[in-house]
Amino acid sequence: MKQDDQKTEGMNFLESIPRRVVTLYIPLGIFVFVLLFPFYWMVVTSFKPNAELLSREGNPFWVIAPTLAHFEKLIFNTPYPEWMLNTVIVSVVATFASLFCSVLAAYAIERLRFKGSRITGLMIFLAYLVPPSILFIPLAAIVVKLGLFDSRWALILTYPTFLIPFCTWLLMGYFRSIPFELEECALIDGATRWQILVKIMLPLAVPGLISAGIFAFTLSWNEFIYALTFISSSEVKTVPVGVITELVEGDVYHWGALMAGALLGSLPVAIMYSFFVEYYVSGMTGAVKE
Amino acid sequence: MSKFTRREFLKTTAGAAATTSLGVGSATWMQEALAQTKWTPEKGAKLRVLRWKRFVQGDEDLWMANTKKFTEKTGVEVRVDNEGWEDVRPKAAVAANVGSGPDIIVGWFDDPHQYPDKLVDVSDVANYLGGKYGGWYDVCQKYGKRQGKWIALPLAVIGNAIVYRESHVKAAGFDGIPKDTAGFLKLCQAMKAKGTPSGFALGHAVGDGNNWAHWLLWSHGGKLVDDKGVVVVNSKETIAALEYAKQLYETFVPGTLSWLDPSNNKAFLDGQISLTANGISVYYAAKNSPDPKLQEIAKDIQHARFPIGPVGKPTELMQTTQMFLFKYSKAQQAAKAYMAFMMEAEQYNPWMKASIGYTGQSLKAYAANSVWTDDPKATPFRDVASLMLDHAYSGPLGYASAACLADYIVLDMIAAAASGSKTPAEAAAEAQKRAERYYKV
Repeated sequence: MKQDDQKTEGMNFLESIPRRVVTLYIPLGIFVFVLLFPFYWMVVTSFKPNAELLSREGNPFWVIAPTLAHFEKLIFNTPYPEWMLNTVIVSVVATFASLFCSVLAAYAIERLRFKGSRITGLMIFLAYLVPPSILFIPLAAIVVKLGLFDSRWALILTYPTFLIPFCTWLLMGYFRSIPFELEECALIDGATRWQILVKIMLPLAVPGLISAGIFAFTLSWNEFIYALTFISSSEVKTVPVGVITELVEGDVYHWGALMAGALLGSLPVAIMYSFFVEYYVSGMTGAVKE
Repeated sequence: MSKFTRREFLKTTAGAAATTSLGVGSATWMQEALAQTKWTPEKGAKLRVLRWKRFVQGDEDLWMANTKKFTEKTGVEVRVDNEGWEDVRPKAAVAANVGSGPDIIVGWFDDPHQYPDKLVDVSDVANYLGGKYGGWYDVCQKYGKRQGKWIALPLAVIGNAIVYRESHVKAAGFDGIPKDTAGFLKLCQAMKAKGTPSGFALGHAVGDGNNWAHWLLWSHGGKLVDDKGVVVVNSKETIAALEYAKQLYETFVPGTLSWLDPSNNKAFLDGQISLTANGISVYYAAKNSPDPKLQEIAKDIQHARFPIGPVGKPTELMQTTQMFLFKYSKAQQAAKAYMAFMMEAEQYNPWMKASIGYTGQSLKAYAANSVWTDDPKATPFRDVASLMLDHAYSGPLGYASAACLADYIVLDMIAAAASGSKTPAEAAAEAQKRAERYYKV
């Protein structure tokens, strides 16, 4: 460690402060600004009274007389809490179900080396590329036949159609980065395939599982077209569909309440990211080194 | 030959006997009685209706109150679900394709013409209502009928008009909105010079954008297709319309190329523009606002019909909304009874009134509704159904016309020519190519 530190310090003479500002802080600042500005705009709009939303006077980037009226309207005058609960249930169940299936699929493709495993992996990835706007009508026919139309199950069972390919593809890459030798040692010690998966692979693949989980959760949370077409009753709607239905009246958009809905809807995802951000990064880069 | 049951025989002869004994004076009463017995709901029938989310609160309140009345009268339980107005279309397509979903959908434009074989023939209901309420407007007949059969009941037309600040128009030297397109251009130029410009949506605004773009094209004699559905948009009339659009665009406030449906409402209420094309929503948003500034604007707002172009007749486009009943419904008689009930004067008139001018009548008798005269500013919206053309004009309604509208072919053509990103000839040629792709199918 000490040697590394010395090496790093040794190169520091190249890193003058102006150079650091130009090569690091300014690009980083622009990047952060571009990413966070929509979020900031959402926050500011959700606290602005209607008069300020329309007015050109004053500073559009700041709130002069903040109000909670939009949040009040959203929470007490619309079924928003119900939509939120539905979104949580659908996203959590669909995510866990997809992760379970993806782990089995990714492990089988990467490690069991059966005939055609590569092609299977490729096909699963290709399935992810089929856009939902093409799939929603055939899926609707299946959902109707199963008698699940207009229920949370319609979403819980259809979301894995795009979550499983994505998670499998992501986990395949992660499993590939875990050394074979660990499994071979376990096999010599008499472990079964299931034991290897549960006791060796999964504990090592936690960062990968978390990043796949976060992605799956976010995709389910934001999903629109299936939620729109498979659900009709207000009490089973999810946040993205419910908010649009309730807060857009013809060409009159209730921007304050819409932004309040978007803000509250994005918070759970943001909180999840902040908790698992370290795992998430290592999950994307592959953390187990030989 | 269809079977004529003893029950039907008794019904018919009883009806005939009653008609004879009651005489002509009781004709109206008989119509009522027949209407009530014509569609006897199935035993234990339940209905599910999907409609677009309200444009104004009163619309939804009255719709639900009328639905409750229907349930009390017939015992048929009706569940009404709502969806954003642009989102009803994919849901209706799914319902039609999978053969399951709401019994009745209140959809838009030519949705029923996309899947006519999946819909119940509602000619009996349409003929009954048409006979009783002064007949359907021509454009409503085109939207509701296919091959002589009614496949949907046109419920209403969502009116669009020129919305303007009266004081600003006067300051520009005009008493009102000129009746011809040449005069209208002069007005917009004068308003621009006075610092009170106009602005029309040129982004993908489903309602406001499509409406004014089609008016502009048609007013100069251009059209996407001819009577047989052959694409003829690349014509000298279209070029003339695009040249006009270029001149008109110069009078607009900057930014209209990205405007969506709510953009012109906001710009108008914010004082950025003084003239636009919109529904009655701008006026009511201002009138009902607690902000005194907006209330002042409301007093200054006036509405007018679109000017008439070189073709010499009104050429406007509005949103038409229709009720249609799917064949998979297990309660088709109950559904027909519901559709008829909602369009009877006792229900329709209060609903129209509660919709404060958003919904124009599809049956001629309802033009007498006082919603058009209580506030004179609503009067220009009264005759929308008699002034408009259907969006497929002058071709047939169907997949291609729906796809062209959804793909904003006319609107994109006008935006491209107006902004100068393409010459009028290039824009018309591109529109021709795009439209041909759809009409080939």
